[in-house]
Amino acid sequence: MSQSITSRRTRISLASDAGAARSKFAWIGSLSLHAAIVGATLFTFSHALDIADQSPPMIPVDLVTIGQKTNIAPRAIVQPKAPPQETPAPPTPTPMPAQPSAPQHAQAAPPPEIAPSAQPIKAPPQPQAKPQLQPKPDKKDFNVDNVLALLNKVAPAAASAPNAKTASRNVKGVGAMNAMTADLQDALRSQIAQCWSPPVGAPHAEELVVDFDLLLNSDGSVAQPPQLVGQSASLAASDPYTRAAADSARRAIYECAPYKLPADRYSQWREINPFHFDPRAMMGQ
Amino acid sequence: MRRLAIAVSVLLALVFVTPAFAQLRVDVTQGTVQPLPIAIPNFNGDPSGAQIAGVVRADLERSGLFKPLDPKSFVDQIKDINVPPNFADWRVINAQALVTGQVTMQPDGRLRVDFRLWDVVGDASGQSQMLGLQYFTTPENWRRIAHLISDAIYQRITGEKGYFDTRIVFISESGPALARKKRLAVMDEDGANPQFLTNGSYLVLTPRFNPTAQMIAYMSYIVGKPRVYLFDLESGKQEMLGNFPNMTFSPRFSPDGNKVAMTLEQGGNSDIYVMDLRTRAVARLTTDPSIDTSPCYSPDGAQIAFESDRGGSQQIYVMNADGSNQHRISFGGGKNGTPVWSPRGDLIAFTKQAGGRFNVGVMRPDGSGERIISDGWEDEGPTWAPNGRVLMFSRTLQGGRGSQIWSVDVTGRNERRVMSPGDASDPAWSPLIQ
Repeated sequence: MSQSITSRRTRISLASDAGAARSKFAWIGSLSLHAAIVGATLFTFSHALDIADQSPPMIPVDLVTIGQKTNIAPRAIVQPKAPPQETPAPPTPTPMPAQPSAPQHAQAAPPPEIAPSAQPIKAPPQPQAKPQLQPKPDKKDFNVDNVLALLNKVAPAAASAPNAKTASRNVKGVGAMNAMTADLQDALRSQIAQCWSPPVGAPHAEELVVDFDLLLNSDGSVAQPPQLVGQSASLAASDPYTRAAADSARRAIYECAPYKLPADRYSQWREINPFHFDPRAMMGQ
Repeated sequence: MRRLAIAVSVLLALVFVTPAFAQLRVDVTQGTVQPLPIAIPNFNGDPSGAQIAGVVRADLERSGLFKPLDPKSFVDQIKDINVPPNFADWRVINAQALVTGQVTMQPDGRLRVDFRLWDVVGDASGQSQMLGLQYFTTPENWRRIAHLISDAIYQRITGEKGYFDTRIVFISESGPALARKKRLAVMDEDGANPQFLTNGSYLVLTPRFNPTAQMIAYMSYIVGKPRVYLFDLESGKQEMLGNFPNMTFSPRFSPDGNKVAMTLEQGGNSDIYVMDLRTRAVARLTTDPSIDTSPCYSPDGAQIAFESDRGGSQQIYVMNADGSNQHRISFGGGKNGTPVWSPRGDLIAFTKQAGGRFNVGVMRPDGSGERIISDGWEDEGPTWAPNGRVLMFSRTLQGGRGSQIWSVDVTGRNERRVMSPGDASDPAWSPLIQ
């Protein structure tokens, strides 16, 4: 009994000793554990942020693009039926501003009698009325409808094309490059590839990258002259190679129009900006 | 904290922003390299207008970058070049550009040639005159006018200077294989107006133009020993360049035309020397006991590419113009020689000997990016068009069936024969005629 008391007392005393010790260790342990948890959280959190910082919204775009490419292939094969050479009928009969861009052809020839001298000549005056190209739209609309019917098997275009000039300002948003539009990008890419002939022999041709802002009508035709944007706009004014590259891309934009795109998604492809022409891959780089 | 703020704002943007009209970004990375369809009706006025338009069509077609449309397909006739054409009529035949021109005889007996280049593609605001020029010349000079017009069109469309108003100096070969007559000759870039400069009584090799295209340096055996000579095209005079005791060969002008780099052989050792044409002072650039030859200046005159077998086989080296910093650049296999620096400076053309064949290739001045661009059995001795876009070279036909001059685009496309009177080899392209 006494032994049991002793043992109990011992136990109690032990217990009370342990209690005292535990309260000290508990504080330290608790603090260090909390610190560790907080530290670990901070570490992983900041790590995660680092990753997010390094690759902004590019990752989802890449994935989507690859996935959709395989889906878009059959569509690209169907398309050759459409007449690519069909030139777009200008909706606006605006008279063309002929610009006499005439670089001086320097002629400093030693024997003057066989020296042909070159002088720039100005563009001729404007005729009062441009010939109307109205009959064309019928044919073109007919073709586009055919193609769209083939491609989409959906209801015909619900929304009519708002005039490009009166439309509200576009907002470049997150939705511009997601799974919803990747097939449109591929469709445009595969169509324009047939028409684009970049100046591949120019020096550093791989650097001749040009960007356009292109507004399309709902029938896929060009709504207004595509505008050079970004760095290429300023470069084209001074660098003849960039100007040639821009011209080739602009010709391609017109040559390939009207674009065969799903009419019911016109809001997604109404404005293409930037329409980015980069010949690097064609140069084997 | 800033990162957190960014993360939160991105999340918010994802949740709340829904664009009414999204701008679609499209990256175009693939195209189809094809010649530009261009309509060039015969020029109005003087009968020479048809000839001029014909030469322009041939020039542009030869470049491989243009596809002149068959005049028979034209649905519209240009009646007055001072009135904008009816673009729809030209788009119908798929023309993307249109050239209209007019030739009139002036009271003073000169020919006046006007032409306009039109952009046919696009809607009304895109169609416009891209170029309009006027030339005056003597009637017999109509061919040059045609080449100048071709150059102007080429430059406006491609961004680079043309090369049609140029000449080729070459070695014209005739006679049986054992008694081959080799004469120095020049012709226009399109093979027209061939002219022999020497009579064939002595051997001539490796002709090269100076930067004004008025003088030709070449190697000849006039006095029995091979020596470098200068030929003045205007006066027809030729003179030996320096009076060296031994063989001199492989001359090449510096870009400013004031110096000639060449090879001088002494006791079986060939080295590269440079002579200042104004002072006739000679400087030695290489001292290696091997064969150093075929020097060619970079367009800025700061460096010289040459070939040497100092490493055991013939390879291409580059050094500074004073002979310092000699280093090998060709490591693509086989033997490599006859380096020629592009007037653009971006490439060096050369002859590669490998697998029993000779082919023309190009590489960057640091030796990278080597690619073979000619397709023959024995192609050698490349020369650059002044715009650095096209090359000519000698092609020996298999089985010794003669030699021809061929041209090829720097991309390796558009290989075609340059017509010449009889067999021809060793072409050298002139700069643009001044």
